[in-house]
Amino acid sequence: MITNQQLMQEIQETNMSYLMLAQHMLREDKDQAMFRLGLSEETAEMMVSLTPGQVLKIASSNMLMCRFRFDDDIVWNLLMSHSKPAKPLDAANVSGIHAGILMAGKIAESHRMAAK
Amino acid sequence: MSKKSVVGENRDISLAINLIKLGARLQVLESETTLSYERLLKLYKEVAGKSPSKGMLPFSTDWFMSWQPNMHSSLFINIYENLSKSCEIDEIDAIIKAYELYVEQVKLLGMEPLVSITRAWRLVKFADAGMVTLSTCKKCTGAFVNHSFEIDKDYVCGLCAPPPRAGKVAHKKVSADQEA
Repeated sequence: MITNQQLMQEIQETNMSYLMLAQHMLREDKDQAMFRLGLSEETAEMMVSLTPGQVLKIASSNMLMCRFRFDDDIVWNLLMSHSKPAKPLDAANVSGIHAGILMAGKIAESHRMAAK
Repeated sequence: MSKKSVVGENRDISLAINLIKLGARLQVLESETTLSYERLLKLYKEVAGKSPSKGMLPFSTDWFMSWQPNMHSSLFINIYENLSKSCEIDEIDAIIKAYELYVEQVKLLGMEPLVSITRAWRLVKFADAGMVTLSTCKKCTGAFVNHSFEIDKDYVCGLCAPPPRAGKVAHKKVSADQEA
């Protein structure tokens, strides 16, 4: 029972810091924050408009409010960079940049879908 | 251009300052702001503390095609596309923000940014003019900078299939400040 309660508390804390970080980032620079967070414009606007009370209410849930953005094998493999053999250029860097290209592209794609 | 607004001029000046700080060439400023050449020159000297470099801008699309520059410019253009599609933003603002994100990401990976802001700006203009296009890699489904009108049905990117001598030129160390 205690673990369950602890779990709840940790989820709520994560929610809280996620929402606060997102709000902070969005207020600083909305466009860049949307890229970093991977949010759509509507969600971003909604998040910015949340009052502290609302944030608190949303955070106190038994579900996480943020989730993994990339469910793609290629991206994961690149991020873990198992697959690349030793290259003249540091292999980790190459797969890092490769992952960056794919990740930036993926979000662009989802926006394109949403626009349709 | 007949009505000169003070607010507009203010916006232009802060835009120019931002661009100069990122290392943009004077030609970029001239095309993105309505400020006169003389004022831009003065501003440049004030912000950068030196005279702007002279000469023409690099105008070839080939630079973006060799292996290392291609992955850097592809990263930049993907970020740029993402920004310009996801939010209502002016082209030049999107370029600046995408460039900042690009530099940030490359530095996190422990690399030097190969694409200068001038090159990045140029790349967006090339893409607008249809002189370069984005091809989708058949293997990783990423979008990569490629020549226009190339048959890219079976395109495989330079990262999925690196050329045999990929990265060997890295020793020559071409950094963003030296070129452009």
